[in-house]
Amino acid sequence: MAEKANDSTRGTWVPQDDVIRYELLEGNGPKGAPQGDPIMSVRNLKVSFATEAGRVDAVRGVNFDLWRGRTLGIVGESGSGKSVTALSLIGLLDDNAKVGGSVKFDGEELVGKSDEQMAAFRGKSISMIFQDPLSALTPMFTIGEQLEETLLIHNPQMGKQELRARCVELLRMVGITNPEERLDAYPHEFSGGMRQRVVIAIAIANDPDVIIADEPTTALDVTIQAQILDVLAVAQRETGAAVVLITHDLGVIAGTADDVLVMYAGRAVERASIDTIFDQPSQPYTMGLLGAVPKPHVAAEHRLVPIKGNPPSLAAIPKGCPFSPRCPMASGKCFEVEPVLEPFDAAEGHLVSCHKLAEIRERHLSFQEVYPELEPLPAKWAEVPRDQRPVVLEVKDLVKTFPIQGKGLIRRDRGTMCAVDHVSFKIHEGETLALVGESGSGKSTTLMQIMDLVRPEHGSIEVLGRDIATLRNNRERRELRRDLQVIFQDPMSSLDPRMPIYDVLAEPLRAQRWSAKDINSRIGELMHLVGINPDYVDRFPSQFSGGQRQRIAIARALATRPKILLLDEPIASLDVSIQAGIINLLEDLQVQLKISYLFVAHDLAVIRHISDSVAVMHLGKIVEQGDTEEVFTNPQDPYTKALLSAIPIPDPKVERSRERLVYQDGKLVSSSSLLPTLEG
Amino acid sequence: MARFVGYIAKRVASYIVMIFVATSLTYFLASAFMSPRSNYESRTPRPPQESIEASLDATNLNDKTPILQRYQRWLGGIVTRWDWGQTPTGVSVNEEMSSRIGASVELMSLATIISIVVGVSLGVYTAQRQYQWQDRFLGGMASLFMVIPTVVLAILIVFAAIEINQAAGSRLFYVTGLSSYEGGNPLMTFLDFLQHILLPTVVLTIISSVGYHLGQRTYLLDEMHADYVRTARAKGLTKKQAIRKHALRASLIPTAVSVAFSIAGIFTGAVMTEKIFAIHGLGEYFINCINNNNIHGAVAVAAFSGACTLVGALLADLFAAALDPRIKMS
Repeated sequence: MAEKANDSTRGTWVPQDDVIRYELLEGNGPKGAPQGDPIMSVRNLKVSFATEAGRVDAVRGVNFDLWRGRTLGIVGESGSGKSVTALSLIGLLDDNAKVGGSVKFDGEELVGKSDEQMAAFRGKSISMIFQDPLSALTPMFTIGEQLEETLLIHNPQMGKQELRARCVELLRMVGITNPEERLDAYPHEFSGGMRQRVVIAIAIANDPDVIIADEPTTALDVTIQAQILDVLAVAQRETGAAVVLITHDLGVIAGTADDVLVMYAGRAVERASIDTIFDQPSQPYTMGLLGAVPKPHVAAEHRLVPIKGNPPSLAAIPKGCPFSPRCPMASGKCFEVEPVLEPFDAAEGHLVSCHKLAEIRERHLSFQEVYPELEPLPAKWAEVPRDQRPVVLEVKDLVKTFPIQGKGLIRRDRGTMCAVDHVSFKIHEGETLALVGESGSGKSTTLMQIMDLVRPEHGSIEVLGRDIATLRNNRERRELRRDLQVIFQDPMSSLDPRMPIYDVLAEPLRAQRWSAKDINSRIGELMHLVGINPDYVDRFPSQFSGGQRQRIAIARALATRPKILLLDEPIASLDVSIQAGIINLLEDLQVQLKISYLFVAHDLAVIRHISDSVAVMHLGKIVEQGDTEEVFTNPQDPYTKALLSAIPIPDPKVERSRERLVYQDGKLVSSSSLLPTLEG
Repeated sequence: MARFVGYIAKRVASYIVMIFVATSLTYFLASAFMSPRSNYESRTPRPPQESIEASLDATNLNDKTPILQRYQRWLGGIVTRWDWGQTPTGVSVNEEMSSRIGASVELMSLATIISIVVGVSLGVYTAQRQYQWQDRFLGGMASLFMVIPTVVLAILIVFAAIEINQAAGSRLFYVTGLSSYEGGNPLMTFLDFLQHILLPTVVLTIISSVGYHLGQRTYLLDEMHADYVRTARAKGLTKKQAIRKHALRASLIPTAVSVAFSIAGIFTGAVMTEKIFAIHGLGEYFINCINNNNIHGAVAVAAFSGACTLVGALLADLFAAALDPRIKMS
């Protein structure tokens, strides 16, 4: 057990190999190089699952060490094996998983331990924070009961008073106000961010040595994300634990990690200190990943460069370098032999797995050279200035209220809630307006109001100069709908799985009474337009990847040649390397077809990249509206300022030097002043 | 608390209205389809016409009286004297019902409790061993018992019991009724009751535990893979402990709802089993009522079953609210 290792035995278990030798040189970050012995050593970790599709190798030989007080960021897209790696450290993999290699915690081998043996480590020495706070807590027990359970499992001798005192202390540590009262609350009485704080409190309850955080902020709004990352930092400071932070968000990594491991197809492809990874990404995949993300802190200068293709399926990993089918540099050997991690810069412990390593190093290749298709942004229909073009959509003083209902069998209205509160904006031809806001700000409700094409409760909506209150019947509504189409967030659920793509695309045309011949030729056009092989029209949505499905959803929306597209978080469910392709497609389509976009999103970096103007929504109201660059560089409203300062920036140096602002009751306060202060 | 009581009172009031409407409709339907007159007319020798009319009038079953008039008299009896009317032979329905309900409760209580305990335990046991041989075997048995009609199962068990009786040379199991011992020894009375109740209890337990078994298995499997069970394991509980402490509680909510309805079912009895084992409970009584053109009896049973079902519904809500803090009863 953890305590048994005393000074005389310490150190002897630590593997003395190249892995740790290079790791000890990783000093290019805020904390310098790691000192002393690691707390956890992972060597040649392999995890495979027996599935119906055959054996799936989710993790194929991963090595790393964890030091107390340091954070290892594991970055990768879906299917890269990062979450499986995390779960295997704490022994929470499914029963059908086969784990090989070695995971040593303070000298003790964890691989091969039974569930009962692992239970002694879980929650005490190693603890975990999960992605979705809404489902991570048992709904039937109070917060206090769940916290106390964590303490009691490992300290059965603790008395009632002592337990309560410790729970209060823990809740205070994670920044929950009135902890004494909140202990008796149930999880459903807490917001998502609050629940994630409780999950963190549970994770640190027994002063663990290792905390694994698996996408801890992915399900949260950007301002809540910033707060949770702060709490996580406090948790690390308090426990002195080693943190493994798993995420796909490079901005989150930039602000929190000391060392970074980039995973692709179950293997590490690059490993370095935080600053090195961002200054000098040297594996083509890492370069692509960093290049593909829009930057929230600088104005868009050129098109995003998508990494072509899709992440490989773990059941069929390509021969040779798994990234080779997508790599612009791949040639010969890349398709034959899988590379291993080799030092790129031995003095800094920077390891890269790539056959082109020597070439990249000698020629100082960076993203710009490796991905040569870097083009300037497509010229936005510049002949006519935006504000002189015709207005295609105008919303004036739109109000939408919902009755607040009493609970129980007979629901009585208990007043109303204003979801959209006197919202006004206009969109010109070929313009992109982004509606930004956090969940509950009313941005989606606004979109729904426009889409419904019915007279709003208050105010007016004018589509192509026609006030929708004057629409007399469904026939007129249908005609207008041809010009107003919508694209939803999740292409998995917005396409009927039992309809071949041909029917998916033909449906809106049939609804508009097109002839079969016209439909046929239009579908061919559409498939070309969104970059999907027209021969695939008889395939079903499940045969396409997420990015392709979103392209199909875009094609369906474009079928009737609309003038306005309403986009509801169109890229939020896609992998980072796929997002760039969809953003580029949307930009190209706008230039080609002069469509206007009303873009609803919470990802401010994407918005800065794609939109001409921005409207920031908060509690149903538009608090600030203006040209995108103007709003991003010189925000006026305090809420906008707070929102912008909460975006994690994929640049560790910028992240470290800036002060976050928090919007509280109409005022701005610095986030450091809000961090829970601790006694002693 | 006041809001809770108010809420329950509101629910009960709406239930009373529902029962009133349903019972009245049953009364009209039963009166339209059943003909107590034929009971008298088919007697041999056929009674004189006047005496037939007189008997029918006395029991308020004469189809020559306008239906609304009969309804009014029947309803008046219930409201003023809690008198649910008479059978065609002139016996009070109230009396017949009360003894029948007693028999049903004797039969059903034990069977219901055992089937819940057995069914839920099997569900929990098999869910934790999903797709292992125990799960496959018990699941197969459950499917088998689910498709065997009650009557067939009961008769098979009766046959088996008679075989055992013959082999043993003495009567170990009784296959009809609920008691046959006449003496005063309480221990013997109890033993006699057990000998009678055993076989119908076995039949009822098998039939109703299947539902609990399969239901509980599904509910627990759903919850076992919930994120919060993983959180519980990450705290340091073993998989078994996490399932027992966290998943089981959530999976019991839907089970509690069906338990609530079963409690109501204790009073309404079991039609087939009672008929086969000649137990004079409410289930058998219902069949007899329909066969014997006993309008008032049939309507009373329908009203009582309705009331039991609604009590079950109310209990189900109370159970769910007690187990799940997200549900508020107000």
